[in-house]
Amino acid sequence: MKGIALPDSSSPARDKIRLAALERPAQRALRRAGLLAILAGALWPLQAATIAFLVSHWVNGTVAPAIALIAAAIFTLIGGLRALLDHRAGAIAFNAADLILGHERARLITRESLRAGTSGGPASAALAAMIAQKLPMLSPYLTRYRPAAVRVVALPALLIVITACISWAAALILIMTGPLIPVFMALVGIAAKEASARQLSEIGDMNTLLMDRLGALLDIRLLDAGERTARDFTARAEGLQTRTLAVLRIAFLSSSVLELFAALGVAMMAVYVGFSLLGSLHFGTWNGPLTLAQGIFLLLLAPDYFQPLRDLAAAWHDRAAAMAVAGELAVLEATPVAQVLGQGIASAPLTGAPIIETSGITVTRAGRPLHLPDLYVGAGERLAITGPSGAGKSTLLAVLAGLEPVSAGEVRVSGTPLTAENADAWRARLAWAAQSPHFLDATLAQNLDLRETGTDLAPALAAAQTEGVVATLPGGLQAKLGETGGGISGGEARRLMLARAYAGAPEVLLADEPTADLDAETAQAVTDGLMAMAARGITLIVATHDPRLIATLGRELRLGAGI
Amino acid sequence: MSALWSVWRLLWRARQATMALGALLVVAVLLAGAGLLSLSGWFITATGAAGLAGAGAVFNLFGPSAGIRALALGRTFGRYGERLLTHDATLGALTALRVDLLRRQARAGLDAMLRLRGAVALNRLTADVDALDGVALRLALPLLGAIVTHGVVFAALWAWVGLPVALWIIGTFVGGGVLVLIVTARAARAPSIAAERATQSLRQAVIDLIRGRVELIAYGRMGRQTACVSAADITARRALRQQDRTDRAAALALSFIATLAVAGAMVIGSALIANHRTNPALAALGVFAALALAETLHTLRRGMADLGRMRDAAGRVMERAETTLAQPSPHIAQGGPGLTVTALSYRRVGAFRAIFTDRSLTVAPGETVAVAAPSGAGKSTLLFVIAGLLTPTTGDILIDGTAISAMTEPDLRARLTLLPQRTALVAGSIRENLALSRDDLDDTEAWAALQAAALDGVIRAKGGLDAPLGEAGAGLSGGEARRLALARALLRRPRVLLLDEPTEGLDPVTAARALHGIRAYLPDAAILTTSHRSAELGWADRVILLT
Repeated sequence: MKGIALPDSSSPARDKIRLAALERPAQRALRRAGLLAILAGALWPLQAATIAFLVSHWVNGTVAPAIALIAAAIFTLIGGLRALLDHRAGAIAFNAADLILGHERARLITRESLRAGTSGGPASAALAAMIAQKLPMLSPYLTRYRPAAVRVVALPALLIVITACISWAAALILIMTGPLIPVFMALVGIAAKEASARQLSEIGDMNTLLMDRLGALLDIRLLDAGERTARDFTARAEGLQTRTLAVLRIAFLSSSVLELFAALGVAMMAVYVGFSLLGSLHFGTWNGPLTLAQGIFLLLLAPDYFQPLRDLAAAWHDRAAAMAVAGELAVLEATPVAQVLGQGIASAPLTGAPIIETSGITVTRAGRPLHLPDLYVGAGERLAITGPSGAGKSTLLAVLAGLEPVSAGEVRVSGTPLTAENADAWRARLAWAAQSPHFLDATLAQNLDLRETGTDLAPALAAAQTEGVVATLPGGLQAKLGETGGGISGGEARRLMLARAYAGAPEVLLADEPTADLDAETAQAVTDGLMAMAARGITLIVATHDPRLIATLGRELRLGAGI
Repeated sequence: MSALWSVWRLLWRARQATMALGALLVVAVLLAGAGLLSLSGWFITATGAAGLAGAGAVFNLFGPSAGIRALALGRTFGRYGERLLTHDATLGALTALRVDLLRRQARAGLDAMLRLRGAVALNRLTADVDALDGVALRLALPLLGAIVTHGVVFAALWAWVGLPVALWIIGTFVGGGVLVLIVTARAARAPSIAAERATQSLRQAVIDLIRGRVELIAYGRMGRQTACVSAADITARRALRQQDRTDRAAALALSFIATLAVAGAMVIGSALIANHRTNPALAALGVFAALALAETLHTLRRGMADLGRMRDAAGRVMERAETTLAQPSPHIAQGGPGLTVTALSYRRVGAFRAIFTDRSLTVAPGETVAVAAPSGAGKSTLLFVIAGLLTPTTGDILIDGTAISAMTEPDLRARLTLLPQRTALVAGSIRENLALSRDDLDDTEAWAALQAAALDGVIRAKGGLDAPLGEAGAGLSGGEARRLALARALLRRPRVLLLDEPTEGLDPVTAARALHGIRAYLPDAAILTTSHRSAELGWADRVILLT
């Protein structure tokens, strides 16, 4: 639910740098797409010329049917070519955007999937929102804004040159509106900034409000507050709407000013051409009076002089959205991420007795070194790692599983140093029981058999005393528990995690606070499950502060506070 | 389609006048655009002809040029008004849509409600609502605008230029346009739905990857999970690619259609002039009108490309939330005042074993009964069933002698309240959270309930009833949030109060104060509580051991 968190401080410079870096792999493609778009735009004068040619012939009274057909055919051919060029430019830009989207997603996944440690990193919902929803928001920027930005540089200049060849006065009209372009741009910029700020915050607010209320539906129903909530939501939403409209009024006004100036430019052109043709104006051309064909041609060019600018304005909020996404990416990537040892993939188990030794281990946590005591755990031994919170209990477990790299010292497993090369092989002999289990979006059976050995789960369920839990679930082992746990309690989830550990037939079990926040009976059930595993000769290393569990395990390694 | 239609009706009714005025302006703006270009083309050609004929001095410049100015300004201002009005109407309509959704969801079954606490389900629902904002802006209004504009332009061209030109231009645009739009809607349907589904499964795969990271690595499964994420990414991007391809193909086809319309107007215009059935200026008007009409179709194209997604979303948003209706009991059970539960059992649909069977208990008014049972015996589920959120497999629940299955929802909620183990607060002030319980909450009542829940001191320290809470009640500790939910439940003044681990996470002194406060606040209520803590067990008049 915290998925919509925006970066704390927005920094335009940082956002711009990140956006430029993001575009880099597709820069050439984007340039090609822009070039094709310019080419397509440059074809319009030819089409305009055919219309001007034909209409002036109509007035002169000499149009053979063949000439009309040829003019129409030329117009159609060029029009078709123009449409094809635009189509192709769109395809190239889309491919570029697609490439960048895939690239950025892969980067984020690579970065986060092997992040070291048992906690930290962006919240899952935030990262999911970034990958699934926000990164695709780069696409309109790349496919609409970028080509428009290229066109706005070239096409108006081209049209001024063509216009100037016929009439300097007409070119002057366009040039006169030229200096207004930066003013337009500023107006557009302000308008778009506010409009996109509105989009991000207001629509976000409305959705946040909706999500907040939907998340509390059970309470709302129990309190018979459905109607009250609906009324309250309406009142708040109307408040939001009033504020949104106040912003929109300004945003739309700014872009209307742009349209107004464009309309004025075209109107001035029409007036100049009309008066010239009537013979009331005698200046502006290079030789002789303006002909009808030239007049119509100039009139047809004028709107296209402003069109790239209007396209850019229409795509401006795409840029603002892309900048926001780039900014969030920059924030996400601001801190370097330490990686686990190995790849986290299935591997043939390491050979040798499961003996664990550490010597002189130091890990870097939040930029500060944390020294951990040496330990030796033989095969089948049981060890409780205790100490106040923050002492590094979970970190030590993570180190033993190769989930946390050490900055000094050595972990030896089965007599060999634990390295990136053998970490996956070492983990093939381990089982891990997390403090707050997460069920993957798959059936319970698949969740319990993570290594996909196809083993019979019945003994594991029995050892963890979870047959009863499974029997009450819809579909039993085929039940999908999902994100919210599907109605099972925290203690039941913890016991299912033990069943998962057991099903993997491990030699060493690493468990992080298996009995925390459980009532006495449930904690006892979990403890019994652990001891059932110990009885099978499995080494137990348990981070805990539960005195009963510590006593049951027998041996204790106490970590000091914040050494 | 019917779901999409009901969405449109909802959108239309929410702000009928504004939406109607906006629709009028949409039409006016499109007509002004077509009129502006046509009139300018006619004007230039006519001035050219007059200049050639030496009739420049007698040509009436003012009518047409005033018309051009009026259309240019009218279009600009009309566009401003149109955007403002249609956005205003859409914002209002979307609020209505969300409120409607909230109302229906508030009657949903327990499982649906619990699912909505997860980010994935919540996100899917809000994404669906968001997809519907295009129904008015990108679909209905442009469709209306295009139909009216083409009709008017057809009539005008027929009257001024000639039927052949009118037939060709409008025939090409309408015939070709309808064909392209229908094909687009068809072709985009599957990919636009697939894109949304792939996005959701990508989201799910990423959430699984992050939440399950440590276990996935430890069990050597991270490689498979990242492969799963990239498969979802590829599916999502493939669907986007198909959508893009359809959209660009439609744009290409519409460009061809516009080009053909103009080219035809050129040829037919020439023929009409040759036959003296029209003059060059009016024939030019036809060509320029054809140029102008292209813009009527492109907005619609976007809407048609999203039609499949909108229909999909509308189906889910409008048809969600079927109410859990309690089944009337086949026999009439007897019960005295307070809460009577007889022979109750509950089994989840599709489960092998019941969570509990044959539970019977009574709680008299003013009595406090604690249910003690080992973890997993279904204490919480029992309370959900008694609260009417789950339909029992067998058995009866009576309050003051009336079966809850015979009560209406408001009637049941007025008599019974449950404080579940996991409660949710809403973003807003303390007062707004308490006001969920009843209308016209006054300060005295609010403070009394807070005092009963042993929270008055905390709230006073935070600045009183108007102290704001963040999303999902952020700003209070777990124990404080729990007591606020308790105060909220107390304000309902129910005849039957069900409490699920009410003092979980509270220190013994506060727990004792809260428990004492509950009874003092509701002296006559039948209270049923679950607990494994001695605080509640000691507080209760009677303890029922369930095995």
